[in-house]
Amino acid sequence: MLEQIPTAFLFFAAAIVLFAIPQGRARAALLLVVPVIAALHVWTLPFGVFAQKEFFGFTLDLLRVDKLSRVFALIFTIAAFLGNLYAWHVRDTVQQVAALLYAGSAIGAVFAGDLITLFFYWEGTAIASVFLIWARRTEGAFNTGMRYLVVQIGSGVVLIAGVALIYRETGSIAFELMTLGSLGTWLVFLSFGVKAAFPLLHNWLQDSYSAATVTGTVILSAFTTKLAIYALARGFAGTEILIYIGAIMTLFPIFFAVIENDLRRVLAYSLNNQLGFMVVGIGVGTELALNGTAAHAFAHILYKALLFMSIGAVLYRTGTAKGSELGGLYRTMPLTMIFCVVGAAAISAFPLFSGFVSKSLILSASAHEGHYIVWAILLFASAGVFHHSGIKIPYFAFFAHDSGLRPKEAPRHMLLAMGFAAALSIAIGVFPSNLYALLPYDVEYVPYTTTHVITQLQLLMFSALAFAVLVRTGVYPPELKSVNLDTDWTYRRLIPRVIIGVRKVVSRLWQINSNFWLRRINSAISRLYHSHGPEGRIAQVWPTGSMVLWIAILLGITLIVNFVS
Amino acid sequence: MSVESTHVAMTLNDHLPILQVLVPLATAPLIVLIGSRRLTWSLAFIASALSFVIAILLLMQVIDGSVISYQIGGWAPPLGIEYRVDATNAFVLFLVTGISTLVLPYARESVKSEIPARHHTLFYAAFMLCLTGLLGVAITGDAFNVFVFLEISSLATYVLIAQGSYRDKRALTAAYDYLIMGTIGATFFVIGLGMLYMATGTLNMADLADRIADQGANRTVRAAFAFIVVGMGLKIAIYPLHLWLPRAYTFAPSAVTVFLAATATKVAIYVLLRFTFSIFQPAFMFEVNTLEFIILPFAILAMFAASFIAIFQSDFKRMLAYSSIAQIGYMLLGISLLTDTGLTAAIAHLFNHGITKATLFMGVGILVLRSGGSFYNRIQGMGKTMPWTSAAIVIGGLSLIGVPGTAGFISKWVLVEATIEKGWWPISILIVLSSLLAVIYVWRVIEVLYLKAPLAGTNYKEAPLTMLIPMWILALACIYFGFATDVTLTASRAAAQGLLAGSAGMM
Amino acid sequence: MNKQNDNPETFPRLGQILLWVDKKKNVDRIVYALYAICALLFVADFLYHKHTEIKVEEIPGFYALYGFFMCAALVICAKGLRLLLKRPEDYYAPYDTQSEEYPEDQLERIDHDA
Repeated sequence: MLEQIPTAFLFFAAAIVLFAIPQGRARAALLLVVPVIAALHVWTLPFGVFAQKEFFGFTLDLLRVDKLSRVFALIFTIAAFLGNLYAWHVRDTVQQVAALLYAGSAIGAVFAGDLITLFFYWEGTAIASVFLIWARRTEGAFNTGMRYLVVQIGSGVVLIAGVALIYRETGSIAFELMTLGSLGTWLVFLSFGVKAAFPLLHNWLQDSYSAATVTGTVILSAFTTKLAIYALARGFAGTEILIYIGAIMTLFPIFFAVIENDLRRVLAYSLNNQLGFMVVGIGVGTELALNGTAAHAFAHILYKALLFMSIGAVLYRTGTAKGSELGGLYRTMPLTMIFCVVGAAAISAFPLFSGFVSKSLILSASAHEGHYIVWAILLFASAGVFHHSGIKIPYFAFFAHDSGLRPKEAPRHMLLAMGFAAALSIAIGVFPSNLYALLPYDVEYVPYTTTHVITQLQLLMFSALAFAVLVRTGVYPPELKSVNLDTDWTYRRLIPRVIIGVRKVVSRLWQINSNFWLRRINSAISRLYHSHGPEGRIAQVWPTGSMVLWIAILLGITLIVNFVS
Repeated sequence: MSVESTHVAMTLNDHLPILQVLVPLATAPLIVLIGSRRLTWSLAFIASALSFVIAILLLMQVIDGSVISYQIGGWAPPLGIEYRVDATNAFVLFLVTGISTLVLPYARESVKSEIPARHHTLFYAAFMLCLTGLLGVAITGDAFNVFVFLEISSLATYVLIAQGSYRDKRALTAAYDYLIMGTIGATFFVIGLGMLYMATGTLNMADLADRIADQGANRTVRAAFAFIVVGMGLKIAIYPLHLWLPRAYTFAPSAVTVFLAATATKVAIYVLLRFTFSIFQPAFMFEVNTLEFIILPFAILAMFAASFIAIFQSDFKRMLAYSSIAQIGYMLLGISLLTDTGLTAAIAHLFNHGITKATLFMGVGILVLRSGGSFYNRIQGMGKTMPWTSAAIVIGGLSLIGVPGTAGFISKWVLVEATIEKGWWPISILIVLSSLLAVIYVWRVIEVLYLKAPLAGTNYKEAPLTMLIPMWILALACIYFGFATDVTLTASRAAAQGLLAGSAGMM
Repeated sequence: MNKQNDNPETFPRLGQILLWVDKKKNVDRIVYALYAICALLFVADFLYHKHTEIKVEEIPGFYALYGFFMCAALVICAKGLRLLLKRPEDYYAPYDTQSEEYPEDQLERIDHDA
């Protein structure tokens, strides 16, 4: 019976029930209870396909449960719980409803057994999530939200176009492993790629995650991109091009992250880089690699949320998340700082932290399959991650120069949420077998070998050494109030400018043209007035005789026509 | 003719065709004889309302395509005079009596302000005679009888127009012009009839049709057709025979203008239809050529030339008069297509334009009543002081343009459909273009009424209800018939099919 | 570099302990410790049997050198990139959040000793 109720519907029902509960603790509690119930529901679901619905002649599979979808659904419920706990203080109905609908849609999409259901939830995540950006309620946030919405809805439109083509070709809407080839599959691939923030398609992520509300960013960081990772793992596992896309994805954001000032934007870049690891894992496509992707997504959601929470707490207390404005906060926000460091250690893959046991699966898989260059890039990216997320984030927020800010420690519920996330990150790092048991395939992998631990520590410590040396020699670029151009420049600056330029030329030509015609028309009108105006020949009062003349003429013509024919 | 047409009068219902004419005809002398100024309006209104009821009863009997034949005095045609009611003329009767029944309540206030009280009895008597003539023209099945009733209505019309002289002396010259032109037209018409009689030896329409069909086209028949078309063309105000119309409409009393604009030209068009399609055969080459080479070009010319003149007018009433000439162009265009759909469009437009123009002329009449003139600089800004009147004018204006959701749209749409059906798509484009001209002249009025400041020192009261209600009935009818299209289109299609069946339709 | 009227007594207990890094000397100590750890880790490479997949991994201290030099290169490249990409903060204003203040009503700015 329970397996006939899609988990997503729990969230949607809660979003309705929400309105019946007055704003306050009861409502915040509901927001916490729903993910817990959902997690239990996911945990008790047997494997198989349930909740099939007829829809315009298609059979929709609303609940396809297997190990791959279960692990993603499970981490999504955990993320929803953490996000809502972190947002305990929020008294904004828009954000509460958006968070529920967003999490519900993401979980619904993960359980979708067919492409049409996937499409509906795909657009659902887009529409629900944008309210977390708009909830900031500033002009900039509104515009950023609009850009985000265009990209996300666009991704859905491309998806449904691809689905339609695939359906015409194969007659099936099942969401199964696909092979790139036909236009339909390429469109679906592109649509997944937009949400997964592939290189050149990535900029919506940095743009929007730094614009959302304090709590909104934490929720945003969990779902959209990981849903895309899930979709890629389901539909395009073993597609070779993903290896190279993923490698580039791990690489380029770290450069931007080093020079970026807004720390939430730095985290968005590092999120993008982490997605690259997962994409490589999907591209390699072996059981080990896919396990790596799933495990990394699981661990990543936790520590990325943790990092966004800690910087969010700083923002909440100081009103800014910019490296140039912050510094020295360890004095008064020591707990937040410690949680941030835990998150940093996890993302940097320190032994005993979650990143260590998940990322290494992907690195091993790529080396094992002989992708040496990709392996080298991933290794570099790992070092780079430590550099900007592991060191830069805590360093510039909590240490570095003293900004003089002495904010109060983060509120208790935020500390609690961070504490949960940090505890889970460490627990996964210390007891990896529990996570491994959830993964889609049964693979024996031992993360804690002497070689692995020592080489990883070497990599990280020498990266830290480089940082220390560069900072002490003053080579390290200081945090500056600035924005850095990224691909969004093309559609925020270049294209508008081109359009303005073209418009100028066109309007000039149009003006010349219309002046020409205007003169023509004016003279035509004055001629018309001359003839048809009240004093004109045609409209004048005619003498009776001339009227009769007309009658005679017309009669003559009519007679002629009649006789001739 | 057929055996069953031998008439045996049984019930009042059987006498409806003669009553249709007799009621207003008898009312006219009654009004004069009683001579009471108080009763005169009531008598006229009762007569008109009765006629309207009769017209509805008749229309209900023939809408399915059947024909009522009524022999006056029991004399069988072709010797006796026959009244024939089919879908086409029942529709015209309905329009004429309906409009007159709405115009009369409206006329009461309007006539009071425009015509001295001592002439009221005679005015209403003339009005009744005019109505009689129009109804008679529409209902009779005898060609010469058409002429007789045409003269009755025309003579009454000259008198009615001349009544405008109390407001503007130019009404007299306008009436005089119309008298000359109308008489020439009637003369041409009767010459045509004479020729037909010479060729066939009968004046009964059905009989005429049969005999013409039998003997085919000869010179006499051709000449008769030419005279009848030109003669009727004068009454219809086919461009360029329209010259009497703008002045007659402009200077006639408001109520008369409403009535004439909505009915007189329409009845004339009906006569043209009857002669072109029922008596002469559309199969005759000379007829096809006349329609295609004379009526069609002049119809298109009217659509544009008259619209341009309307655009440049600075007198609202005169502008509407010119717009009528342009609209008559649409109807003639529909006729000249010689197809089922074209005729349907013409007949539907005849009706729709009738109610549209009646709405607008009633609006003008009210503005004249309050402001004393219809020039734009006289009525400017009255949209604010007289919102109900102005709103009705806007509705009428939209219907005149042919905005979707109004009656005017339906008939224009069918007309465009008909031209496309025939493959004459350049003409479809011309129809749309000339409608754009209508947008301009209607907009000018809206601009004058709403966007200009009212004249200093004027604060007009809204019109009396006796005028507002008839106008709003018509304005709402413009909208109603814009949505309930099947009423007009079914009747029009039935009429068109009856006409196109030729003399067979007269059986 | 404390604020003029800073009173460390009011800091949270943990914060007071951490003030240890406020002293330049202690920061130096941390850096020296890092040097020592790095040296130890480098040496450690010679002391155990490496299980490797790829040839380059066998080079002693490969991970250490790779980490150090790649990170240095990363920073220097990024610095160069900044010359190219840096724009004023209000470059995209007003269509961007970077130049905006975070709306105050959604924050809870409290000083630690309030």
